[in-house]
Amino acid sequence: MMLREGKLKEGYLVEEIRLEDKIRRRLQILGLTRGTRVEILNRKKSGTTIIKVRGTRFAVGREVAEGIEVREPDTRISRSDQREVSA
Amino acid sequence: MNTPIHVAFIGNPNCGKTTLFNAYTGARLKVANWPGVTVEKKEGFFSYQGEQIRLVDLPGIYSLTSYTMEEKVSRSYLMGDEVQVVIDVADASSLERNLYLTLQLIEMGKPVVLALNMMDIVEERGMAIDLHRLPEMLGIPCIPVSARQKRGLEILMHAVLHHKDKDLDVLEHDHPYESKHRHDHHKDIVMVYRDEIEDKIDMISERMEEKYGPVNNVRWHAIKYLEQDEEILKNHPLDLGDVVDRSYETDIINEKYDFIEEIIQECLVGKSEKAQFTDRIDRWLTNRIWGVPIFLGIMALVFFLTFAVGDWLKGYMEQGIEGISGLITNGLVALGVGDLVRSLVVDGILAGVGGILTFLPNIFILFLALAFLEDSGYMARVAYVMDGIMGKIGLSGRAFIPMLLGFGCTVPAVMASRALEDPRDRLKTILVTPFMSCSARLPIYVLFSQMFFGRYALLAAYSMYVLGILVAILVALVMNQFTKRKGINTLLMELPEYKTPNLHSIAIYTWEKVEDYLKKAGTTIFAASILIWVLLNFGIGGMVTDMSESFGAMLGRQLVPVMGPAGLGYWQIVVALISGLAAKEVVVSSMSVLFGVSNAAGQAGMSAMAAALAGVGFTTVNAYALMTFCLLYTPCMAAIATIKRETGSWKWTLFGAGFQLAVAWVVAVAVYQAGLFLTRI
Repeated sequence: MMLREGKLKEGYLVEEIRLEDKIRRRLQILGLTRGTRVEILNRKKSGTTIIKVRGTRFAVGREVAEGIEVREPDTRISRSDQREVSA
Repeated sequence: MNTPIHVAFIGNPNCGKTTLFNAYTGARLKVANWPGVTVEKKEGFFSYQGEQIRLVDLPGIYSLTSYTMEEKVSRSYLMGDEVQVVIDVADASSLERNLYLTLQLIEMGKPVVLALNMMDIVEERGMAIDLHRLPEMLGIPCIPVSARQKRGLEILMHAVLHHKDKDLDVLEHDHPYESKHRHDHHKDIVMVYRDEIEDKIDMISERMEEKYGPVNNVRWHAIKYLEQDEEILKNHPLDLGDVVDRSYETDIINEKYDFIEEIIQECLVGKSEKAQFTDRIDRWLTNRIWGVPIFLGIMALVFFLTFAVGDWLKGYMEQGIEGISGLITNGLVALGVGDLVRSLVVDGILAGVGGILTFLPNIFILFLALAFLEDSGYMARVAYVMDGIMGKIGLSGRAFIPMLLGFGCTVPAVMASRALEDPRDRLKTILVTPFMSCSARLPIYVLFSQMFFGRYALLAAYSMYVLGILVAILVALVMNQFTKRKGINTLLMELPEYKTPNLHSIAIYTWEKVEDYLKKAGTTIFAASILIWVLLNFGIGGMVTDMSESFGAMLGRQLVPVMGPAGLGYWQIVVALISGLAAKEVVVSSMSVLFGVSNAAGQAGMSAMAAALAGVGFTTVNAYALMTFCLLYTPCMAAIATIKRETGSWKWTLFGAGFQLAVAWVVAVAVYQAGLFLTRI
């Protein structure tokens, strides 16, 4: 799912950044690399979101929040665990 | 004297470089708690242990790429041969993010010393940094400092002197005996990448040296080729089609952060989450519903303090200035100075400059309030809070920071627009910022609202600020129609931790502004007052007794028909407005000279001027139209020069100046005609 859909006060892990090169690069430089934990601190109606990454808060615009793919911290592990169990 | 050692400060935005710079050089550069305060490089000198040191403060950057203006400026400067030692200033309280730039700097190959700033905050949060392991892992000296408390400054410079020679990456110690073993305690590569990347680095390095001869930081160049850095590819083209099949930038960034995580794990002890202070405040200040009302409330308070408390203090200022003016006038009489000179001093200089000095308390309070806002960390939040509204007019929330600074002075506000990445956003911001009412227009509002609006004076003055914002928004909206840009909101801005405002930096900031104001009173306004006095006291036939026969009146009358519809068709007003192009305060000082009022801001002066104006048929409606015109018309020369410098284009500068003049005229006409209509019914 995209960061835009994430719940407030929840932590997620970055999967991929689907944005034009310039902005993707800036996000990566600020530490939003794959697997990094992102916490959603606040969000406005317009979609502008405050996130916390590696101890720093950033305000990101709606389109930026819409381009960051994240996943919930444990789902993947538990899902693969389940698959193993069922197999 | 030996040549100074050239040292550069670099680091992430808002990490305290400038505070550190000020601490060393005794300079008083502006410091505030929002990213992007420093937009130009600044130099200072000092000596340490008999060595002259030339210190350069650079704009903050997050990385050594070449995408933003600041990055380009800082990078090309650091790469130049001049810089001998690089001090990487890191905010130790968010070390993880700061270390990214550190790794890049070390790769660049110059001697780097890491200054761990804000160690006091680290301790406050119950954290500790392993100062033994960190330099071991990075291979460079790491010195804990606190720029605010001036701790660790000596040791930092000591480290700089020690590491200025590049060969010191091999640490030697003086043995009293012969030793045949090499004592290379440090490795010269900060981090080793995956084999795939390291292989490519080797290949590229070889090819680069083949083509360009020995390069002193070939490894760094090789990494930049892998990242497909535009500037490097342009300046040193190299045929690498078979080696660099794609951009390895993401890989390199990821590996750097992997290494940083390792460092953090080993070196940061007691990683606590005691940053909740900021979160608690943010719950209110960035609240979905309350964010905007709180911001408006804060601004209302700022202007209330400026006008209400400022006016109370102004009373004392008036008495002081009137006293001094009286002494000078009496002194001149006692000395038997001729009429001409006495008139120049009393009616020209004292009326002009004295009148302006009276407003110093208002200016002081306005800047004091802005300093508090800037130093607390709230500025960046305003960008977030206003982002939705700004988005509707096609600007990023970040553009609101320059606009807000415009309430202080247009010159630094226009310069602050450099932090905007998109050149079109920048241009738009530069064009609308002058509509934000700067502090120089404040004396005009104070004077005219008190003369004509009685107990509604505060409201009349306040409405100017609102009108300015409305016009700025409207203009941005119209411009947005022309650029027809899709509303892509790519805001990306760091929100710093809140800090208790530092009294020292607030004092520096406010004093600097007060000093500017005094300087302006002593130079621009002084000169303009003399010029106006000359224009008004001399005509074709030499000195005139009736001002309406003077050169000034002749000039003013030319434009009276144009200004008539705006209710400003008086030659005196026209002269005052033209002179206001030198500095907006000059409108007030010129009025004093024009109406022969010794202290326009004083009670007596005000009623004298009001009576004089009423005599020519100038009413409350005219006064409001005048305030409106002054709010919106072409900014002062200093602001125009800054706009030219920042846009780099005469076309846009002149367009802006003409456009603002046109807007001012149209709005003033509308206000005046509407006012006339309303008073008639």
